[in-house]
Amino acid sequence: MLFFSKWKITLILGALMLGFFFALPNALPADTRAKMPGMFQRTINLGLDLQGGAHMLLEVDLTSVLEQALENEKETIRQEFREADRLRTETIRVDSENDAVIVRLRDAADSDRAFALLRDLSKPVDPTSISQDKTTRVEKLSEKDFRVTITEANIADIQKRTIAQSMNVLRRRIDPQGTTEMTIAPEGDDRILLQIPGAKNVDDIKSVINKTANLSFNMVRKESNNEAAMELARRPGSLSKVPPGAAFYPEEQGGGLIVERRTKITGECLKTSSEGLHPEGNYPIVNFTFNIRCARLFGDLTQKNIGQRFAVVLDGVIITAPRINGAITGGSGFIEGSFTLESARELSLLLNAGALPAKLVIVEERTVGPGLGQDSINAGKIASMIGLAGVGLFMWLSYGLRFGTIANIALTTNIILIAGALSLMGSTLTLPGIAGIILTIGMAVDANVLIFERIREEAHLGRPPVNAIETGYRRSLAPILDANITTLIAAVTLYFVGSGPVRGFAVTLAIGIVMSVFTAVVVARLITATWLRRKRPKTLPI
Amino acid sequence: MKDISLVKILPIEPKVPFISMRKIAAVLSVLAIIASIFLFTQRGLNYGIDFTGGTVIEIDTGSEPDLAKIRTVISDAGFPGASVQGIAPDASSTLDHDYVRIGIPLQPETEETGAQAQQIAMKTAQDALVANIDGFDGPQDIRSQEAVGSAVSGELRTKGALAVGLALLMVLAYIWFRFEWQFGLGAVIALFHDVILTIGVFSLTQIEFNLSIIAAILTIVGYSLNDTVIVYDRIRENLRKYKKMPLPEVLNLSINDTLSRTILTSMTTLLALVSLYILGGEGLRGFSFAMIWGVFVGTYSSIFVASPLLLLLKLKRGVNTGNTDAAVA
Repeated sequence: MLFFSKWKITLILGALMLGFFFALPNALPADTRAKMPGMFQRTINLGLDLQGGAHMLLEVDLTSVLEQALENEKETIRQEFREADRLRTETIRVDSENDAVIVRLRDAADSDRAFALLRDLSKPVDPTSISQDKTTRVEKLSEKDFRVTITEANIADIQKRTIAQSMNVLRRRIDPQGTTEMTIAPEGDDRILLQIPGAKNVDDIKSVINKTANLSFNMVRKESNNEAAMELARRPGSLSKVPPGAAFYPEEQGGGLIVERRTKITGECLKTSSEGLHPEGNYPIVNFTFNIRCARLFGDLTQKNIGQRFAVVLDGVIITAPRINGAITGGSGFIEGSFTLESARELSLLLNAGALPAKLVIVEERTVGPGLGQDSINAGKIASMIGLAGVGLFMWLSYGLRFGTIANIALTTNIILIAGALSLMGSTLTLPGIAGIILTIGMAVDANVLIFERIREEAHLGRPPVNAIETGYRRSLAPILDANITTLIAAVTLYFVGSGPVRGFAVTLAIGIVMSVFTAVVVARLITATWLRRKRPKTLPI
Repeated sequence: MKDISLVKILPIEPKVPFISMRKIAAVLSVLAIIASIFLFTQRGLNYGIDFTGGTVIEIDTGSEPDLAKIRTVISDAGFPGASVQGIAPDASSTLDHDYVRIGIPLQPETEETGAQAQQIAMKTAQDALVANIDGFDGPQDIRSQEAVGSAVSGELRTKGALAVGLALLMVLAYIWFRFEWQFGLGAVIALFHDVILTIGVFSLTQIEFNLSIIAAILTIVGYSLNDTVIVYDRIRENLRKYKKMPLPEVLNLSINDTLSRTILTSMTTLLALVSLYILGGEGLRGFSFAMIWGVFVGTYSSIFVASPLLLLLKLKRGVNTGNTDAAVA
């Protein structure tokens, strides 16, 4: 146990050097650090609870996306049947409980043709993949009835795309310049984790998360100013008054209008938008430019409807409904409403970033201000230094200068290696993570204590120093491994089942355990062996 | 060089009759467990918002806060059940006056509010504070704010319980694999003992029970097991060495053999933890309290629960005592 071959010593020293170098950047000022080779520039990431910032868990409203998908499927089927020659349906309705659309034919004789048509509508979910999953499954319930079910694979695909799109939109909204170091990651099936370090105004962030920003330009129905609309504005529940193909939306300033449901001018038409001031009135407006396709569409629309009004609808609310005085062919315009500069800026940001495919709800929020974060760092620093000093002093008092120093070198090496490992892995140090390090300081000496106590015992049995140390190291290896593997099991469990900051604790604890075994069993043994070879002591100082 | 080493004070071969104290210890442990279960079922735990859901806002009012006024403002904002308390900052803090922690219980998630209920409550409370409390001007004066909805808190509860259960199970599997089944069972019973007593203490003191306490409990499991395994390992070794010695004596000898290590390691761990408890700040106080308790309970249970249990479980000798070094080396 006490013989180390040359290459082994080289390996151990090499590993230690590497650890030191990875830990070093944490102790250097930023400008010195920048001159180091890239690999050694990494420092420990501070968690949001230490540097301040916002942690939010957002739930994506996938149910509404699925409902929309069913509605679209229904529309597609209706369209196809209408276009098919003499293929009449009695009803087409959505059965949202079973994620299906139910089709009932007027004439049972059309059964085979309808079945074939519905089956043709089912496309591969992902044309590029080798899997045979189709978007829908068609069942014949009777000669006249069919059920078109959206398949599991399709639902999964819709959900995946919704989450991915939501994440893209969120990134563009919160960080339009791409300068913030924020994390956006999917979590579970229907959630998005959002972590924004140093967020100064969480309220602003929340306000851009809460808006879907669905924009559309809908023509106002001619009869819109009549009593039906007025009544709808008073009692929003009486939606049965809305004529087919139309929709009622409340106006921002009160009241409401009945508008055409269908429109081709939506938020996707916008190329850019920006806040600005009205050229005459000098009040805040939102300027926008359409893309080429929509510029032409909008030109045609306004040409045909001079004298009519169109409504600018944002998330189901009419912002403004101007009258068309002439054809607007330039492909640009502005929206005026009751904007402040602030709200105009926010709306143009939202429009630039695009609409969210689904509503997002903040189901968990943990925000730490910079003041608390700094306090936590200070407290953690002081607690670990005092803890380290206390344990170091205790080891010196207990084992004397020689063995106390060996244990303390192992302890210090351990801390440096933990810092090195954390920097290298790019893992995040959280407040509980600091607790993990301090706890490790206390428990790390355990392996050395076990070894030293064993050596003491063996010496007491009459073994000469070298033999006692040799036997001590050998016999304590099994208990050290057993004891630490069990703690490691607890730490790993905590990592996989735990969440958020607690994971940070599991990481530091696990690294600390591994490093403490390495420093006690390998590093301290090497030091002891070197000391033995140099001094050849007759008695042991412990 | 004159060397002091206080460890020489500790006897190499202490002869404390631990095993003969096992009956007293058993009575003590059983009573403590009954008391803990009684407390847990009758008084319950003071769950934090991780597990109950709800909102916690910590604000800095720029000077010593007027708690009575804040209480009225929060109550008038529609949260009569909220808690308002002033907290003194740590010595190392940048604050020189108390800050205020406002806890709003979980708001019902109605059809209208949906899962946004907690966010709405947080906003309402903050708006009321901005309007009525001098020195609180909104986001820049917030030290921290947390809002947890009912779905998330439910998941965290399940996950927490799962973590503790899973850890116990995996540890049982490991000990079983490395030792005989009596050891595995003995160790896990000792761990249950530690976990139950820790929950009991949290019920007794009503210290907030949150996610970090789950982390503490798992660490206690690890620490206590660490201790138990060291003693068990020595028992296994001594069983091989002293084939004729009666089991109770072997157990007692093994506990005494490892006693100095037990004391030293507990001391260093406690040193680090007490430093954390006193200096580590408000956020880690519950955690370090749990861990300090855990060190005591874990050490006690290794000596007085895990080892005597081997007698009760009728550990057989000479069956599986030959693989200590071989299996590791």
